[in-house]
Amino acid sequence: MHSDATGFLIICSALVLFMTPGLAFFYGGLVRASSVVSMMMMSFGSIALIAVIWVVFGYAMSFGNADHGNYVGWDGVFGIDLNQLFLGGVIDDALSHNDGFNLVFAGFQGTFAIITVALISGAIADRAKFGSWLLFAGIWATLVYFPVASWIFNFQTDETGKTINGGWLVYRVGVLDFAGGTGFSKGMHAPHSVPLVLIGVGILWFGWFGFNAGSALAANGIASLSFINTLASPVAGMLTWSLYEKLKHGKATSVGAGSGAVAALVAITPACGYLTPFWSLVLGAIAGFVCAMAIELKFLLGYDDSLDVVGVHLVGGLIGTLYLGIFANGSGLIYSGSFDQLAKQAIGALTVLIYAFAVSFIIGWTIQKTVGLRVTSTDEIAGVDLVQHGESAYSRHDPRWSWRLGR
Amino acid sequence: MDQGNTGFILISSALVLLMTPGLAFFYGGMVKAKSVVSMMMLSFGSMGIVGVLWVVYGYAVSFSNGGTSTFIGIDGVWGIDTSFLNLDAQVKNALGDPAAMVSGHPDLAFVAFQAVFAIITVALISGAIADRAKFGAWMIFAGVWATLIYFPVANWVFNFTLTDGKVTDGGWIVYNLGVHDFAGGTAVHINAGAAGLALAIVLGKRFGFSKGITQPHNVPLTLLGAGLLWFGWFGFNAGSELAADGIASIAFLNTLSAPAAAMLGWLIIEKIKHGKATSIGAASGAVAGLVAITPACDILNPGWALLLGILAGALCALAVDLKFALGFDDSLDVVGIHLIGGIFGTLFIGVFGRGIGVLDTGSWSQLGAQALGAGAVLAYSFIGALVIGFIIEKTIGFRVKAEDEIAGIDTVVHGEEAYAFGGANV
Repeated sequence: MHSDATGFLIICSALVLFMTPGLAFFYGGLVRASSVVSMMMMSFGSIALIAVIWVVFGYAMSFGNADHGNYVGWDGVFGIDLNQLFLGGVIDDALSHNDGFNLVFAGFQGTFAIITVALISGAIADRAKFGSWLLFAGIWATLVYFPVASWIFNFQTDETGKTINGGWLVYRVGVLDFAGGTGFSKGMHAPHSVPLVLIGVGILWFGWFGFNAGSALAANGIASLSFINTLASPVAGMLTWSLYEKLKHGKATSVGAGSGAVAALVAITPACGYLTPFWSLVLGAIAGFVCAMAIELKFLLGYDDSLDVVGVHLVGGLIGTLYLGIFANGSGLIYSGSFDQLAKQAIGALTVLIYAFAVSFIIGWTIQKTVGLRVTSTDEIAGVDLVQHGESAYSRHDPRWSWRLGR
Repeated sequence: MDQGNTGFILISSALVLLMTPGLAFFYGGMVKAKSVVSMMMLSFGSMGIVGVLWVVYGYAVSFSNGGTSTFIGIDGVWGIDTSFLNLDAQVKNALGDPAAMVSGHPDLAFVAFQAVFAIITVALISGAIADRAKFGAWMIFAGVWATLIYFPVANWVFNFTLTDGKVTDGGWIVYNLGVHDFAGGTAVHINAGAAGLALAIVLGKRFGFSKGITQPHNVPLTLLGAGLLWFGWFGFNAGSELAADGIASIAFLNTLSAPAAAMLGWLIIEKIKHGKATSIGAASGAVAGLVAITPACDILNPGWALLLGILAGALCALAVDLKFALGFDDSLDVVGIHLIGGIFGTLFIGVFGRGIGVLDTGSWSQLGAQALGAGAVLAYSFIGALVIGFIIEKTIGFRVKAEDEIAGIDTVVHGEEAYAFGGANV
């Protein structure tokens, strides 16, 4: 029984779960005051729904193997281990051998599934129906996330599979085309609460330590390296995003600093165990700068990614995944002189991208044509919180109360 | 290698990192609505700049030891180990044979833990210059101050070698003077407090300071910040033991008891002086207690920790009025809480410290050492910050223009407003 690693992973899982409320605040602060409830509920809704289906059949789909258990399907591609329904197999392990490691691992991976789904919601701010969102979330997790998690995270000894942290790629693609299916929201507006955005950034960063260091599955040298890289990359990303803003627009914003940190966190995620801290600083610096430019893509290409999920997450993730092929300690181009790792990274990214894009498109399109994803225009302009949830985020006696700046 | 302790250090580091956003909200809630973005950015900005410097050369300056061919400088005072640049030696250690990790954990775990100490110390200073600092000037100050003041002082206080529980080598304050500072009463709080005092003097008073300070614009934000600070402080204090053992447990318990008592101490003084106990007072009291217990959390029995807490809370509640009496605008009480609280906690050890204080040994020598260490850090940091701040003020300017300050600096400096309620988009 390895209680040290188990304890470490339990705490890391708690940190990763905390990321989803953090995300709710990050996104919530960015939208206007009349849709912050809806925005936060899409994240909290993901916690509820995805955790349930993870326990029922998600883990069984993501971590089934043909060589043991009661496996149905095509091994390594799409299948389910019926013994693991309701986490049956890992609970038996925990009780019969008094070793909870596999069970904690199931919990740890469950929190990954939750945050991955919740991240998508940033692309549909201000205009999504709550019920349709949950429908999308459940189907998307089942058809896209669980199989892809089995491609990427379900490995036993093969280290090469680990280098492509593709769970991260999946949602990014889902995002792009989910946003494409819903059209533009009505007009741009400033974040309604900057402090709430930064609360979200702080909590996300905190949880991300659990996400990255915990992925070593033991409190060892690799976990320590992942940890320091999870600090080094975002600090550099924060600086370069601010620098880009300063050069381009004359002022460094706090939302920009927060976004720079998040972009660099995304970029370091696939790479955190394989880079030295110096190359992490460089990766963070590149990710912050490039993502700051990439968020302007949406105006050029004409899709509405309200909270810059594509600019930050898709671009940031691609940079991190490919960067690994060049600078990975040992296997990267600059150490080995070989393009092998870079090619593997690119192929892995591309495969996941195509699958996720195609399936997400079908799910989104079907929901849009049947129950509809989007609220009516009048409801959208009035604000989705009252229409969808019957709540308003901030209540005062005067409904037209406006925040008085200063005193 | 001990996985249990390594995991403990890593989790503690994550907790300490969360303190800096916590500080941003604690400070942010206390300023006016037109400068909260600027206030929070001073903290987030120091995460950016100090984090980068730490990886590149900060650790190499703070934790270098003489006696190796790669060391340049004066051992224990000011130097750098060039093999630590970009953490190269530490990465080798982390990826190498676990049995070879002499400290029982990968060096990188300790690097991460200390990195977040450097970040929060710099961020603490920003409370002294609320509502009126230029962001770019602050970033330059943060980088230069960390390099010239924090990294060497961390070496003096935190860099030591233990053999059989005795300090056998290290920085001059911890080794030569024998100062006991478990988690940073001198290196963190006195250091930041003294620099805050210097900057408050360099930047001068805000408009309207003499007519009384403005009310906090967002009390829940301040209490949220205080909660996160306290949460993270458990990692700060207990984690400083670098092992999940008995001392860490004592440190943890004292990190609970001292701030609780300090909160009461502060509220009692407030009630007596102003007739009402405020929530901002409760939050400030807790922080004052946390500051005071930081150097002492391992070496006080919980009874003495309660006494330290209640006295520190009361003392700091009185000390925050110093700025009006003496006429310096330490806007959010970095001096009143961190400098005064840090000195009090550091000296308290000399009297009540288990096995080293006057009560146990009958000798005043530890108290003398504590006073000397505290005074040395105070003087070094104050003078250093005064010079750095003064040079920045005279060259690029540290303070925003008068009309910008009155209009509110968020829109001027960052082009953002903290809250968009009202207007067509509600």
